[in-house]
Amino acid sequence: MAATKRKRRGGLAVPAKRPRKSGKDARPPAKPRDKAEEAEEEDRNRIPGPVCKGKWKNKERILIFSSRGINFRTRHLMQDLRMLMPHSKADTKMDRKDKLFVINEVCEMKNCNKCIYFEAKKKQDLYMWLSNSPHGPSAKFLVQNIHTLAELKMTGNCLKGSRPLLSFDPAFDELPHYALLKELLIQIFSTPRYHPKSQPFVDHVFTFTVLDNRIWFRNFQIIEEDAALVEIGPRFVLNLIKIFQGSFGGPTLYENPHYQSPNM
Amino acid sequence: MDTPLPSGSDSDSEESLVTDRELQDAFSRGLLKPGLNVVLEGPKKAVNDVNGLKQCLAEFKRDLEWVERLDVTLGPVPEISGPQSTPQNKDQKAVDPEDDFQREMSFYRQAQAAVLAVLPRLHQLKVPTKRPTDYFAEMAKSDQQMQKIRQKLQAKQATMEKSEKAKQLRALRKYGKKVQTEVLQKRQREKAHMMNAIKKYQKGFSDKLDFLDGDQKPVARGSKEGAKGQQTKKGPNAKRRYKNQKFGFGGKKKGSKWNTRESYDDVSSFRAKKAHGKGLKRPGKKGSNKRPGKQTREKMKSRAR
Repeated sequence: MAATKRKRRGGLAVPAKRPRKSGKDARPPAKPRDKAEEAEEEDRNRIPGPVCKGKWKNKERILIFSSRGINFRTRHLMQDLRMLMPHSKADTKMDRKDKLFVINEVCEMKNCNKCIYFEAKKKQDLYMWLSNSPHGPSAKFLVQNIHTLAELKMTGNCLKGSRPLLSFDPAFDELPHYALLKELLIQIFSTPRYHPKSQPFVDHVFTFTVLDNRIWFRNFQIIEEDAALVEIGPRFVLNLIKIFQGSFGGPTLYENPHYQSPNM
Repeated sequence: MDTPLPSGSDSDSEESLVTDRELQDAFSRGLLKPGLNVVLEGPKKAVNDVNGLKQCLAEFKRDLEWVERLDVTLGPVPEISGPQSTPQNKDQKAVDPEDDFQREMSFYRQAQAAVLAVLPRLHQLKVPTKRPTDYFAEMAKSDQQMQKIRQKLQAKQATMEKSEKAKQLRALRKYGKKVQTEVLQKRQREKAHMMNAIKKYQKGFSDKLDFLDGDQKPVARGSKEGAKGQQTKKGPNAKRRYKNQKFGFGGKKKGSKWNTRESYDDVSSFRAKKAHGKGLKRPGKKGSNKRPGKQTREKMKSRAR
């Protein structure tokens, strides 16, 4: 049990091991060995820092938080997303009385450039905002059919913070609003390479499918190289409401004609 | 409310068009008072600013290397379902969102397609995909959670096996019962047969003690037909058949013909041996046991006198 819980020591390397690390790095990769093989060998000696193999350039930070009045399922979903995305940051609950553009300031304070904001109304409807913080587009969705990681039917497992493979439906390329959403989803959900909290292996895949005018999200674990998959969870369905040009405001770029408000 | 409308307040269908236009004119001029007139909004048009979207996308897009994003856009792996022509394949793409199994399978296959397409590329870029066996790191789900999942799966499997076993046992018991009844019936028959043979011997109709030697004859006969065959060959009992004829299918109808051509032609109750006097030969005890009939005896008596 203890062994599996042992965290990989990334940046906080113990001083005694540093000379060894530098020694290994100093050795020129003259032999045409796979980087993966080298990483594996290192792993066998100690818990490695594959981060030192490369520089973390893609500085994406996602702020994931919610409003007050969310129920347990939403809270668990939020926690699951925070766990699966190592490039995310958490924040306290926001009062729903504040205007939405306050969120932009919160993002700036936390030095985040994307945001996932969960808004719960009447303790039953859950709305999700995906936004690019300072200027970029934002989208509001109605979230349905939430199943969290903790459900016993989701039998797969993956490394915490491993990089996901993102799989999209070809329908995302057909319509301009879906293309914009695809770009937004890619930038939010893909873990940057060499992020200090990430694991270097690609062992799970997020699928986004357009079906029945909704976006279905699933998370599968890759067991075998021949594409045997098991579902890890969470899973949810996003029903697009509107796309705005600005972050949490601005002119409406697209409105979903198939969307029916749950209050009507 | 009582303001007279410009052209009659009746809503005749022929005049309604004219009335509506005049009404609208009057409304725009502000002549009509609120009340019966409701301002109808036209159907709302959803905003779809295609150019705005494209521009926004162009600004927002980041030119990252593929290895940073790891995205792939592919349809699901086509189903392996026998020889099907292409137009049928295209129709299959319309997944019914209400059919849960089909929907989840399409997501699964989409993920599979993505994985199959991407793995060679990742190997080329030297991004590791397989975790070495001694790489210990924190997982998304704790060990406790995985234990719970495993236990649940095992419990499910156990219940399934149990139900399977119970079904099999029930089927076996039915079969066992059948076999048991057959054996009992066979024994009964044999016993009856034996008793008959004994009685025959006792009454002197047969002087052979073959029946004590075991089941030679029955075996020869029984090998041809199994226990089932014997039963089904004779069909229902003669008594049963008579009763069926008398009472079966609603019973005998009153006054039905009985000396018809069919009944005359029906020779099923003809027993040749009996008819020709070759019935059961009853060998007596050295022949002298046969007692002559009454008339013969009278004749004998009178002759003797």
